[in-house]
Amino acid sequence: MNAAAVHRFRAMGCDVVLAGADPTRAAALLERYEEAFSLFRAGSELSRLNRAHAHVLAVTPFFARALDVALSVAARTEGLVDPTLSGRWSEVVSSGQVVFRPPGLALDLNGVVKALAVDEATARLDGDGFVSVGGDLAVRGPVDVALPGGGAIRVVEGGLATSGTASRGPHLVDPAHGLPADSPWEQVTASGATCLAADVAAKVGFLLGERGPDWLDRRGIPGRFMTLRGEIVENGAWSRATREALTCT
Amino acid sequence: MAEDSRIERARGRARAAKCAIGALTMLVFGAAFVGARSYAPGHAKGKATPLGAPASFERKVRRSVSQGGVIAPALQPPPVATSTS
Repeated sequence: MNAAAVHRFRAMGCDVVLAGADPTRAAALLERYEEAFSLFRAGSELSRLNRAHAHVLAVTPFFARALDVALSVAARTEGLVDPTLSGRWSEVVSSGQVVFRPPGLALDLNGVVKALAVDEATARLDGDGFVSVGGDLAVRGPVDVALPGGGAIRVVEGGLATSGTASRGPHLVDPAHGLPADSPWEQVTASGATCLAADVAAKVGFLLGERGPDWLDRRGIPGRFMTLRGEIVENGAWSRATREALTCT
Repeated sequence: MAEDSRIERARGRARAAKCAIGALTMLVFGAAFVGARSYAPGHAKGKATPLGAPASFERKVRRSVSQGGVIAPALQPPPVATSTS
């Protein structure tokens, strides 16, 4: 599929690369996510929710579903990927199109929204192809992907995402302290069944520091860790996946 | 004649009162409408539409949030790169 036409444009504040899809349709889909969830647009649904003083708020079905996913991710990661960025995700309750949350508790759904948009855009591909937004991607059909620090990997199924401090500095917040995470890793790349799974795994791998590789291994998630000095550390699942594939060819 | 004039004046007052009540109602409704739009984020400018992807997509995304993907060694020059953003 690498021979398919590759389209590039900007959306959601990131470089978008895609193949196997109509770029206009994909751009419209990404714009829909940005319109609802951007913290840089005062009129987005998320910005208006964060400004509201009420305990109980009505939201659109689109917003409610993304928030449900964010809260589900927070529960599964024991709060490491937290939509409140302050360890207070359990104070947010979503029920249908109604959200209960203490006034003043702001939400940031960036941790899941970009990956969700990638997964939805990939689900709408006409055939084989891929969608990458800011380096987080999902594929339909095998796609070779360049890795941070050199090298490449073939993503056969699912998604691949990288989290870290390389491009935006220390922006990943450790919810336990509410401060930028102090991790021995500069970047963590993880492979997931979806882009969302990969993104969550990469963030957790980064935030857990030295325990990151084992955490991913216990779940069978391939992870590749780049230290602050540029050394590459692969967890067992990553090494096995590449080694097994090599012996098969 | 005086009786007719009194009735006419009463009708005038009734008309004015109806107009005032109507205007007040419109004003209260307008204020409540604007307040609801700014207070409840769900009152979006555009029509609320559900997630466009099929339900199977949502189920898969939720189910697989902690599942690994499938990777292998690269075979061709990569058309795309993963990176932090």
